[in-house]
Amino acid sequence: MKAFINEYASLSCAGDTEALMEAIYSKKSAISIDTSFMSDTPVGLGKMEYEDFFESLKSVVKRVLENSNLENFHKTLLIVGSSVGGMAESETHYFKDKNYKSIDPSRHAISVISDTLQDAFNFYDTRAISTACTSSANAFLLAKRLIAVGAYENVLVVGADALCYTTVCGFYALSVLSSKACTPFQEGREGMNVAEAIAAVLVQNEQQSDSIELCGVGASSDAYHMTNPDPEAGGAMSSMQNALDDAGLSAKEIDYVNAHGTGTQANDKVEGFGVETLFDNVYVSSTKAITGHTLGAAGALEAIISCEVIKQGLIPPQTNCKDLENSAINIPFESVKKDVNYVLSNSFAFGGNNTSVIFGGLK
Amino acid sequence: MKLYVKATSSYRSDLEEISIKESLKKQYKVDVRRKDDFIHAGLLGALRLRDKCEIQRDDALYLTSGFGNINILAKMNEYILEQGEYIKLFDFINMLGNTTSFYVASELGIKAKSIFQISDNFTYFHTLITIYASLQREKKEVVLGSLDIASLDNEIIKRVAGIEENQEVLSSVNYQKLSLDAENALASIEFDTNFYTLEQVEEVLLENRKRVYCSVRCEAFGCEKESFYFETEASYIINRAIERGESLLYIDFYDNRYKILRVESM
Repeated sequence: MKAFINEYASLSCAGDTEALMEAIYSKKSAISIDTSFMSDTPVGLGKMEYEDFFESLKSVVKRVLENSNLENFHKTLLIVGSSVGGMAESETHYFKDKNYKSIDPSRHAISVISDTLQDAFNFYDTRAISTACTSSANAFLLAKRLIAVGAYENVLVVGADALCYTTVCGFYALSVLSSKACTPFQEGREGMNVAEAIAAVLVQNEQQSDSIELCGVGASSDAYHMTNPDPEAGGAMSSMQNALDDAGLSAKEIDYVNAHGTGTQANDKVEGFGVETLFDNVYVSSTKAITGHTLGAAGALEAIISCEVIKQGLIPPQTNCKDLENSAINIPFESVKKDVNYVLSNSFAFGGNNTSVIFGGLK
Repeated sequence: MKLYVKATSSYRSDLEEISIKESLKKQYKVDVRRKDDFIHAGLLGALRLRDKCEIQRDDALYLTSGFGNINILAKMNEYILEQGEYIKLFDFINMLGNTTSFYVASELGIKAKSIFQISDNFTYFHTLITIYASLQREKKEVVLGSLDIASLDNEIIKRVAGIEENQEVLSSVNYQKLSLDAENALASIEFDTNFYTLEQVEEVLLENRKRVYCSVRCEAFGCEKESFYFETEASYIINRAIERGESLLYIDFYDNRYKILRVESM
């Protein structure tokens, strides 16, 4: 049984989906320089505007429901991908009270996002996946497999992560943060921008007039190093090839690769090499120069970007890149108008946890 | 939905007076540095499974846990709050869900996908459904690790999980090698995506001829249950039944809904 993406909504530092795509095509990065997490260390972060992250979360999901063919989510499986769940709220309580006693346990666990949405929308069933930066990409893997065996007809994939001390300071400890907006694939790039986002995607077994097909998903483990990817790009290529095999496509049928492209030295070098080896001059760019790295939400947010690229027939340009490190990959510096049939979106995470998802337009 | 169990391994903290860290160092020659208790426990279960079966590089790895690695979160917040320091590198790394799966995949030589899945209760059941769906497409075998360790914050765990305050919380790690193929299997596990009402479970029990086990949350039916709690208890009960050559029906309960699975030892 095939799986189709029939509705979606998002919120990131670039705004809603419409504002996000406008920012991507006009190359306007939404990254701001911030000292609120580390007063003596300015870093580029992707900060959203909201009063309450969980209210924004419910609002994004409600938008999907209202625009979908469903009256409610009572027969829908919710799969949440998040790297830190309710960490931001737990931190707030802990910093205020100096202990955990006042923490509401229902908002403490990693599954807090699915708990919150379950309370608000009464889903049939829920799952939470936490594989760091591949979390919501892996949620698509599960969604596709579960729909294929007829276990569920409707699956809502939600990627959500809020900024918190743990991630900002944690990536700082890893020495991979950029003090400015990140510059993916640029020679001499400084690092990544931690960011927050909420992205909700409704995957169904029924095709609609404006559906995008969830054609294939592939995953792999480098099992090479905890924080560095396999320099031979074995895991990255295996993940992309598995997605192609799952979709029944050849590499030359892919029109655009939405790269993981975090702007770190290690990721972009290896991913660029993997794309160069596996594909023949395919367009590739990273939209993290606009949004920052939204961690567990990245897979879902970039799935929405991929769907929009197919619908608009417009390849996103690479923002913040002047001198390419790897000139063998085809990075467009301006938008490219063309018929886009298939987009492959990469998400790679610590521990060499790799997931690639292929989206296809329906003719 | 049916999966076949090819091999199992179990560790339960109250049954074995061992230092997991020492066992890893001495018995398995594992470098235990920079890893915490949660990761050590995950590795011990995995290596015990490897002692019992062959693991292929294209087997997939799934880890599931009720609450993940809670101790490391407390430790990190204490650094920031009490010591005024930034987070230490390996605490941040160890906090991430796929860190444990990375170390396990590395030790087992697994190169296929690895997934760390946490559900709102029924986490073991949900992971079985995911594995079944994935295997339909991928036709390989899967290593499933169910991992819960007693935490500094057991009172929070009890409140989240709906467990009595006087309930003993244990650490336990249970691994299973799962397949769609029945050849040389030790047992089968049968399950579905349904949630059952009390009345529906009663109907199932009327027709059931197998031994019945319930989770500690399950007040109805007067079935056998354990005195201890950890969220992935079902995996332990299954492994023990397989070891004893038993067949059983297991019932879990949360939020007015029941889940059922059936184990048939071969």
